[in-house]
Amino acid sequence: MSDIGYYAEKAMRAAGGYGQSEVYVSEAVINTVYIDDSKISNIETKLDSGMMIRIADGGRQGKASVTLSGETSVQECMAMAESVLRYSPESTEFKGYAQPGQARIVLPDVWDKRVEDITPEDLREMAKMLIDSCPVSIPRAQIRVSTNDCRVINGNGVDCSHRSTLVYGHFTSMTTKDHPGEGMETFHGTHLDIDLPAIGESLARQANNAAASHEFKGSEKLSMILPPGQLGDMMNSSVVAAVNGENVKYGRSLWKDSLGQQVASEQLTIVDDPTVAAPLSCVFDDEGTPTERRVVVEGGVLRSFLRDSFCGDSTGNGMRRSSVEAQGAYERTPVIKALNVTAKPGIYTPEQIIEQTDNGIYVERFAWPEADEMTGRFGLNVRCGYIIRKGEIVDTVNNALLMGNMLDAVRNIELVGNDPREMGVVTVPTMSFSGTELVGN
Amino acid sequence: MQAVLMKAEQAQDVLQKAVDRMQDLGAEFSDARSQTVRVTGVSSMNGDIRQLVQKSTGGVCLRAWAGGRWGYGTATSFDRDAVVRAAEQAVRNASGERKSDLQLEPATVREHRKADVRIHPDSVDLSEKIAAAQDLDRAQAIDDRIINRVGSYSEEVKTNSLVNSAGSDLSWEEVRTLCRAMSVAADGQRMERYYDGPDSTLGYEVVRDTDLEELGRVTAKEAIETLKADRAPSGNLTVISDPMVSGLLAHEAMGHASEGDEITKKRSFLTGAVGRKVASDIITMYDNGTVHGAHGSVPFDDEGTPSSCTTIIDHGVYRGYMHSLETASQLGTKPTGNGRAENYGKRVWVRMTNTYFGPGEWGRDEIIADTKDGILCDKMVNGMEDPVGGCFEAKCLRGFLIRNGEIVKPLQSFTLTGRSVDILSSADALSKEVILDGGMCGKGIEDWVRVSSGGPYMRARMIVGGGQ
Repeated sequence: MSDIGYYAEKAMRAAGGYGQSEVYVSEAVINTVYIDDSKISNIETKLDSGMMIRIADGGRQGKASVTLSGETSVQECMAMAESVLRYSPESTEFKGYAQPGQARIVLPDVWDKRVEDITPEDLREMAKMLIDSCPVSIPRAQIRVSTNDCRVINGNGVDCSHRSTLVYGHFTSMTTKDHPGEGMETFHGTHLDIDLPAIGESLARQANNAAASHEFKGSEKLSMILPPGQLGDMMNSSVVAAVNGENVKYGRSLWKDSLGQQVASEQLTIVDDPTVAAPLSCVFDDEGTPTERRVVVEGGVLRSFLRDSFCGDSTGNGMRRSSVEAQGAYERTPVIKALNVTAKPGIYTPEQIIEQTDNGIYVERFAWPEADEMTGRFGLNVRCGYIIRKGEIVDTVNNALLMGNMLDAVRNIELVGNDPREMGVVTVPTMSFSGTELVGN
Repeated sequence: MQAVLMKAEQAQDVLQKAVDRMQDLGAEFSDARSQTVRVTGVSSMNGDIRQLVQKSTGGVCLRAWAGGRWGYGTATSFDRDAVVRAAEQAVRNASGERKSDLQLEPATVREHRKADVRIHPDSVDLSEKIAAAQDLDRAQAIDDRIINRVGSYSEEVKTNSLVNSAGSDLSWEEVRTLCRAMSVAADGQRMERYYDGPDSTLGYEVVRDTDLEELGRVTAKEAIETLKADRAPSGNLTVISDPMVSGLLAHEAMGHASEGDEITKKRSFLTGAVGRKVASDIITMYDNGTVHGAHGSVPFDDEGTPSSCTTIIDHGVYRGYMHSLETASQLGTKPTGNGRAENYGKRVWVRMTNTYFGPGEWGRDEIIADTKDGILCDKMVNGMEDPVGGCFEAKCLRGFLIRNGEIVKPLQSFTLTGRSVDILSSADALSKEVILDGGMCGKGIEDWVRVSSGGPYMRARMIVGGGQ
């Protein structure tokens, strides 16, 4: 393993002569077990370390990144950054790198020693536990555990380090009858508290239910009920995109002029909360700006945007790290990311939400849950959904398109569940929304 | 730069040592692959440089095959000791209870190949690349309703070396150059976007051969035009997919389901389908990693197998699968050069290259004139495969409504879905023109590799749903 502190300081000495300078160094150890066809197919161990140097002379910037492969890496990176700087046009938008600030929160527990100490045997055991607990086939799954160390130093006086562990799992299941059904589960976290038997059970339940589904025919307007596994990405691609400071700055957010206005149902309160352990929770962001607990939407009223140093008045959301993958953080220029967006849970169990829905669909699984980042529109293939009539599930369907707009949907929230679940950088409960349309063959 | 070149030259010797070590420790087969990747990226947004970066990354991937499973070790250092340590870790990772007695059968290949480009990006001054992105940005400033313009240029020069225990000794270079215009138009609360631009495994000639002024101006004009678009109708409709959406169908509907690992796991609806009719007679489909200049072309895959052309559908009849070393051995056939990895730090598995439908006999306008009621697609957003269920999802950027053989109005983004075999069996008209479009393909949720997909304009029946 390399010494990121040594490389960071060596690079900063080289870059320090410029008006603005910043060095980011990261190092990760990543262990993954892959399951194919209910058997362990592959175990891999990765060591990954690298740095990015950013230098600026007035409005001109030079930026370069390299993997740390030895003593010459710093010179190589610096030479590339200086070469870029020589050619760089003047920018009128560049305001400088992050300013130092005092920590505003206490780092939650984001380090699990068990991840640091994991062995191939441990990974095999985990994989076996999952395989043994899932009575249907697991065509494809992976459990990836990583340690991540990073440090950012800049010429303004910023000098911050961060250490965390990352546990990520992606699991699929399949029945093997003539009309196979599929299931999918994910796990996002910082600790090895992954409940593999529960995941195995869920995978089997989903696959068996999907196998019993049939193609939806016709079209109708109905309510949509989304569990956390589907709603998390839908929220991230619509609401979180709408409060992204860069989208606001360039006019790409429909909420750009809506601060202080009602943009959603009173039932929606969203907080970006790095004080709770989550994959991106940290005291300083990846530019060195202090993070804090930030109310984004309160009772449906838009309270704040998320910003990095490029957008100015940074809220500590300039991130290079990913919530699922520790490899290559040093390669990425900071972009605005939610650290741990959390929607306030309600009082209803998912079963109660179904009971109170007159005409709707509970979406077990989309092909891929995603809304358009700019407009909020979506038209998504339902792989498995339950049709609800007068509070009861009456049918299980597949191969239909569910259409709507998430930025409209959050204005039309019907009920909010009491079952929040962390899905990467978004923690949400089950919610139901009116005003969507289902179209089939 | 010098350090990177030195790394590549020294790599072969270090890789051989690592392979020897893995074999000594009991690997039944092993390979060692080093990779250096140099990237230059420029983007100009609303007249200001938003991104200007150079990257040089690299590492070594060691794979050991033992007892029917792989063990991987990866290092970012090219130092011999570090690489050998990673090789030892790879063998440890492959150990454990024997999964199978499967033997891999790699061909022995010894070849060293440079990229076949006219103007290597290394020979072009960075100032010209910056100017290209700025020109592309400026050319979009045609109307106040264009609120966001992006002109971007990027190049990637990848140098790979591979040594394996079957005696292969390879090195090859891959060059990819692309530029792109992206415009966002707004009118009150209405916002739409449009994009265009070439991609390739060619050199800087791609940029010099492109009329950047025209590309930027037309992109902006189309974004403004889309502000007038209506919501697409919904239901089971006649759809004319453009080459990009046809490519998405080829890739998502049939391509993923034809990857050998999905077949060996029986996760694909095409398992056992060879010889079966799966499409109308006019449909022929290929995965072809040898198309000169196409974004997904590779001289060798990441296991050192030479790239090839696989016929997947021949006049409506399903013909075969794409393979890595492992899936080819499992099914008793030859690898097809589709064992690919995102980079040195990611796993190798069966991936597509350039996947496309062959041409038909119609002109584009003839298909439109022959369509009473339908939708013409214009550009794709993204798609999702469904190898188990035999369906797919394709999001289109926009389209046009056709009535009585004429385009009557533009349509907002919409989504296509349906059962792949039903859609391809309903195809009744293909254009003579075939275009490939480059992009990135993930498998499951990650492992992004560069591919292209394409085809002709194709008329078929599909389920259409427009967002609100």
